[in-house]
Amino acid sequence: MVQSAQFAHSLEGWFGFLPLWGWAAISAAIIIYFLALPFGGLATYVERKIAADMQDRIGPNRVGPLGILQFLADAIKMLGKEDFVPKGGDRFLFNLAPLFVVVGSCTAFAVLPLSKYLIGADVNIGVILILAVTTLIAPGILLGAWASENKWSLLGGLRAASQIVSYEIPVALSILPVVLISGSLQMGQIVDQQGWTLFGENPATFHFWNAFHNPFTFFAMFILFIGGLAETNRIPFDLPEAESELVSGFNTEFSGMRFGLYALGEFCDVFVMSAMVAALYLGGWHIPFLDIEKLGFALPTALVAMVHLTVFMVKTLLVVFVVMWLRWTLPRLRVDQLMGMCWKGMLPIAFINVLGTAVWMWVFKGQSMMQLLAGHG
Amino acid sequence: MDLVLLLAEIFTVASAVIVAFHPNILYASVFLLFAFCGVAVMFLFAGADFLAGAQIIIYVGGVTILILFAIMLTQWLYKIKLVDIRNKMLLPGVLALGIGFFLYRALHQMALSLPKLTPEALDKFTATPKTALMGQALLGSYLLPFEAITILLLGALVGAVWLARPE
Repeated sequence: MVQSAQFAHSLEGWFGFLPLWGWAAISAAIIIYFLALPFGGLATYVERKIAADMQDRIGPNRVGPLGILQFLADAIKMLGKEDFVPKGGDRFLFNLAPLFVVVGSCTAFAVLPLSKYLIGADVNIGVILILAVTTLIAPGILLGAWASENKWSLLGGLRAASQIVSYEIPVALSILPVVLISGSLQMGQIVDQQGWTLFGENPATFHFWNAFHNPFTFFAMFILFIGGLAETNRIPFDLPEAESELVSGFNTEFSGMRFGLYALGEFCDVFVMSAMVAALYLGGWHIPFLDIEKLGFALPTALVAMVHLTVFMVKTLLVVFVVMWLRWTLPRLRVDQLMGMCWKGMLPIAFINVLGTAVWMWVFKGQSMMQLLAGHG
Repeated sequence: MDLVLLLAEIFTVASAVIVAFHPNILYASVFLLFAFCGVAVMFLFAGADFLAGAQIIIYVGGVTILILFAIMLTQWLYKIKLVDIRNKMLLPGVLALGIGFFLYRALHQMALSLPKLTPEALDKFTATPKTALMGQALLGSYLLPFEAITILLLGALVGAVWLARPE
């Protein structure tokens, strides 16, 4: 950290012409324009294409080649719509609420470990920071629902908030095994330790992907994924929206770009959750059994960063694909089933995972299954 | 750095003032959320990064949501304007000023007794990671109070489930 303080000091020499808040504003703009908006936009297109494939349809095919510009047309349409606040609704809170959702999900992009050399801010409390900023989504949905002055909205909002608060606990508990293994909350460090390779020497701290560290982490990964699904209100946990019972749930009254902000926030949150699964359990930027930095000859850092970025994106987008695939596969849960599953099913399993990992770390002195099998470490 | 801290302080105090004086309880709780976020930023500037994260997770993600729930599920609570018709200013004002004066004196004395840090030492202090140290302290020298608090919280949890059980 002292090193990073010196690094920051040397950066100050280069970039000192703007104060800290100026750089903060520029980085926020970069995150939104280069990560959040393109992903959110393309995700709507990809989701419709996947849905069409699964239902044996063609899907969007008019705007641009293969309909890929459909999301731009949608965005322009949404910008052109009337900015409508329902009569009797609360204008201030109605305008404020979507911002919570966008801020909450976009801020988390800052600590995603895209590559060893490309992390927006490899802060000391990376994992905690993601958990913290994504909690802002719950008040955003709840306040928006209340400000709409609509019974369906309020029901959806209450469902969303209770669901997010409940599933936060199994999610946090399934992150704990990873923290136990790596002894760090820093995203870069957590991913770096998963770089076990077949060739060359491995330091004793290097494990293979955390999902295969021990049997308990394998299940913890699924708990994290399911909890993430519930926190992002995706099918089969889409009770807050539930078209067939609540019209459109918490965003019934939202139209135009305010609705767009909710949708963007949801897609960004899906991306962040998938990236978390990929980084914490699926080895992040590491190609399995191969470390491109230990090939025997030095690659330029920029190329390494690009390869890392590609690998990380492939893993994350595969998880995103599973999320979209589930949407057309599973029916929606009932409210009591949802809560029962969280408190009676996932929470005990998450506790067992934490305890089991702790015992494994104590018995096998922190070695992973792969290290034990290979007989070194 | 200091400008951001100053803005965060102004933001927190302004939100807290709105919490205290806004007649609508729902708005008061929304601004309470902002005040919590501002306090988290101040924690960051004091070098307590883990506390900042925990502050947001617990207070914004938990406590504020609970308050909002209670307000929304209680009928018409959010439409009541909580304004006292009789303008009681004297006694509360004197009390507040008195408490403020003694708090200021106590804090001022404490600040005087603390060791003075040079700006470089302060920078180094805020840049040192403290999460690992905190974890070691909680599960090392302060294990007994830590476990006592966990047992207390477990008791509260069981009590809450018992109160909410279906008859």
